[in-house]
Amino acid sequence: MTQPAIFFEEVNERQGVFHRRAILMGAFAGLGMTALGGRLAYLQLFETQRYEKLATSNQFNFKLLPAPRGVIVDRNGAVLAANRPNFRLMVARDKDMDPEGTIKTLALFVPLDEVRQRRLLKDINSAPKRSPVQVMEDMSWEQFSAINVRAAELPGVTADMGEVRVYPHGGAFAHVIGYVAKVNKEDVDAAGPNPDPIMLHPSFRIGKQGVEKAFDLDLRGKPGAEKVEVDANGRQVREDPEGNIPSIPGKEIQLTLDLDVQLRAEEVFGVESGAAVVMDCRNGDILCMYSGPSFDANKFVRGLTGAEYRALAGYDHKPLFNKALTATYPPGSTFKTMVALAALEHGYNPATVHVCTGHWTFGRVWKCDAVHGAQDLKSAVATSCDIYFYQCALAIGPDKIAETARKFGLGEIFDIGIPGQKKGLVPDTAYKRRRFPKDPKWHPGETPSMGIGQGYTNLNPLQLCVMTARIANGQKALHPRLIRSIGGVEQKSGAAWGDLPVNREHLTFLREAMKAVTTVGTAARVADLGLGPVKMAGKTGTAQHYSYGGGRGVHGTAGAWALRDHAWFVAYAPFDDPKYAIAVLVEHGGFGAAAAAPRAREIMRTVLLKDPEVMQRVQSPTPLPDLPPEIQTEDGLPDAPAPIQAAAPAPGAPAA
Amino acid sequence: MTVSALTRPGERDRLIVKLSEIDWLFVLVLSLIAGAGSLMLFSIAGSSWQPWAATHAVRFGLCLVLMVGLAAIDVRVWFALAYPVYGLGVLLLIAVAIFGDTRLGATRWLAVGSFSFQPSEVMKLGIVLALARLYHGAPADRAQLSWWLLIPATMIGVPVVLVAHQPDLGTAMLIALTGASIVVLAGLSWKIIAAGVIGVLATAPPFFLFVMHDYQRERVLNFMHPERDPSGTGYHSLQSMIALGSGGLLGKGYGLGSQSQLNFLPEKQTDFIFATLAEEFGFVGCVSVLVLYGAAIYMALRTSYLSHSHFGRLAAAGVTATFTLYVMINGAMVMGLAPVVGVPMPMLSYGGTVMMTVMIGFGLVQSVRVHRYSEVTSGKGSFV
Repeated sequence: MTQPAIFFEEVNERQGVFHRRAILMGAFAGLGMTALGGRLAYLQLFETQRYEKLATSNQFNFKLLPAPRGVIVDRNGAVLAANRPNFRLMVARDKDMDPEGTIKTLALFVPLDEVRQRRLLKDINSAPKRSPVQVMEDMSWEQFSAINVRAAELPGVTADMGEVRVYPHGGAFAHVIGYVAKVNKEDVDAAGPNPDPIMLHPSFRIGKQGVEKAFDLDLRGKPGAEKVEVDANGRQVREDPEGNIPSIPGKEIQLTLDLDVQLRAEEVFGVESGAAVVMDCRNGDILCMYSGPSFDANKFVRGLTGAEYRALAGYDHKPLFNKALTATYPPGSTFKTMVALAALEHGYNPATVHVCTGHWTFGRVWKCDAVHGAQDLKSAVATSCDIYFYQCALAIGPDKIAETARKFGLGEIFDIGIPGQKKGLVPDTAYKRRRFPKDPKWHPGETPSMGIGQGYTNLNPLQLCVMTARIANGQKALHPRLIRSIGGVEQKSGAAWGDLPVNREHLTFLREAMKAVTTVGTAARVADLGLGPVKMAGKTGTAQHYSYGGGRGVHGTAGAWALRDHAWFVAYAPFDDPKYAIAVLVEHGGFGAAAAAPRAREIMRTVLLKDPEVMQRVQSPTPLPDLPPEIQTEDGLPDAPAPIQAAAPAPGAPAA
Repeated sequence: MTVSALTRPGERDRLIVKLSEIDWLFVLVLSLIAGAGSLMLFSIAGSSWQPWAATHAVRFGLCLVLMVGLAAIDVRVWFALAYPVYGLGVLLLIAVAIFGDTRLGATRWLAVGSFSFQPSEVMKLGIVLALARLYHGAPADRAQLSWWLLIPATMIGVPVVLVAHQPDLGTAMLIALTGASIVVLAGLSWKIIAAGVIGVLATAPPFFLFVMHDYQRERVLNFMHPERDPSGTGYHSLQSMIALGSGGLLGKGYGLGSQSQLNFLPEKQTDFIFATLAEEFGFVGCVSVLVLYGAAIYMALRTSYLSHSHFGRLAAAGVTATFTLYVMINGAMVMGLAPVVGVPMPMLSYGGTVMMTVMIGFGLVQSVRVHRYSEVTSGKGSFV
């Protein structure tokens, strides 16, 4: 222990080396610490702004919020589609949550049956992490608050208030306005390569039909954003309301439709299948476009069950179809207006007389509903004599009839803003050549059919309403207008078009003939409005759907529904000062005068009763003498009738 | 107590004297660092003592008691235990390779009953003790340049290979560098040092290409090109630098670091606690802590300088080297200067193993200080 093993100088040498090296090591460590300090200075003093930005973009996220969807109103501002608050319950899968346990817990507060629970569990497990799955919609306030109170103990569960589309008038507007529903893959594909990110938001709904679809971008508005602080797992930690970006609500769309008229149309159709279109024949505004039977658009917003959808799609009255636009039918006798006009335009003498014996032989025997006797053009319109029009049509030929019919909008697609219009068909010889290359010749035997609106002729109710409105207007080539304004911007008027290239006198003749229809003709009495001097002029139509010859088709209302004739009625009113035109189709309704005309009468009455000018004529108050201006009060109303006025105290005198 | 009293024979063997000889300023510095650690752990737990801050403080207290106790142990006892500790360490490493628990793809743990530990920690101390003892009996010329140097080379090589095999490249590197610093401090020829540095630089590329595991290669690549994979393994580095940089001069304020509070910072309570500190206390806070570390390193190194025995010098300096390497590697990693290797910041990071290893090491350093005048018997001829 006392004997050093190594010589003294050895020890000294080792100690010396160690001391030098230890100082070196210390210097090395000092250098290292300085380097670290330098790096810190660089990061924290010179680069700090850059890293602050990165930290902020880590810390804050912007959560998209769908904008309130634009409301849709009628011509008077009555709400047709709006938004109502909706308490929703959502569950998102996250790290420390147990989906099964969570659903079991939630089932204590809201009704969730076994099947629904299993379905939800599947949905939650297959959804991307932290992307919410909707458990329930339209919770009551009690359910909403019960879950919100416990939200802290239920990771991944959120109960929030969103907005849901509501159609207060259920089915009346379903075909025109359409509905909104969840975004599906086709919608995203249709949006192009860069779909609006809001489309992926779980509470976003996209327009699927009608106005909701056609003006989806206007109605959608601009989504806002909610500034939230998130942690590294993307979980929301707190909100920062100061940093929220407000959304811009969607534009309000005003339609030309009138709520009362539309509801009346729904009422008069009842369970019948058909369509009614009413236009203002001064400016082309569509006051009513109803297709019956309808469906409740609200159910589509919620999402239809398979059974519900099958019931709607499988019903032979085709409720999902907009029959005003999408379906075309033979126009029947309503087309005789065009045949008569074409005849007049091409020099046909209206005094030409044909005698109706109920039968007429031209290649085969052609029939008429009745034995009308000797008819001229005007009385033939009034009685709707087929035998007269067979011969009238033959006299001028199909091409001239078609040319005139097209001038009145038949076979045309109108830009009314919503999709789904069928063009229909007004046939002519060129059509025959084009369509039937094996038998390209127009046979004379095909012309009589066209003369009574049968054969190839197929039109939709909107086109017949436009035709009637143009006849009634007598001057303008009116176009229908459905969208009155978008976000307050007035749309192009239906009257802003050129004049009809037809002789006004011929139109006056035609209107006189249509007046005869409702006074002495097929629709006499049924079409009387009961509005005093305000009367309606029109034309009935009974369109054969199936050939009677084969024993299938049924004239009138006997027999199977699907085999009956279609009933038509087109009209305008008041007949001495036309303001409104209407076209009513009752699918398989039987006689036009029996099924369509009374419905048209009811709808037209509603239209006229809402028109103050018309009402003034109906009520025809006793005319008052013009009062001198000095007895007017400040607000411009007459104070009292003149004799009492004389006894009243002078203005400015103290009250008794 | 006067200086003359301390020269009296036997006086320095009294416990009270030993305790008074401990570098209490050093203890204060360590306490300040550990206190800063607890402070940060309290903050990132959302101002809560649970689950980290309280444990950290208690552990430090226990380790401090352990350190003081070890400081009182005669340096000659340390000397006598040097080879047994090293030998035990090697045996345990071999046992790990055979029986060890595999966690996250690495076999580093050895279970004894319900308690499991990493034998590589034993080796961190073992290599220091064994090399100090070996060099204690070696003359200067041998230590400088001789075939004898193959012995220390082997003593370093065996545990390094075993640890690297686990694989735990961070610890292997730490052991290798600790051993190398002792060899250099003991007077290795500059020629060999230069040759060694060149050799390491030359073998690095093939080592990177053929020896490293895929995840290790990924880490290195991501370190060199952090934009390569900002959400994968490059994420750690990037988020750490964001935390640091966004702290600025004075920091975001205590408990207000968005990076650490919102979990963007990975391993925020262990390897990346320095980034938390940087975010909340800024440059001023970071430099203060670095100054504390610098002071601790200086004081420990000074202890080795004062020792009269070669064993004491090398042992204290070896522990200092380990500690310095911890600080440097972690600092460089947090600041984006080194790949992410899983080396914690000693005393600041949460974690019992490293704290215990470091504090036992400092117990040895203080023992060297307390017994700096003791004569240590040469081991020459006894083992070598």
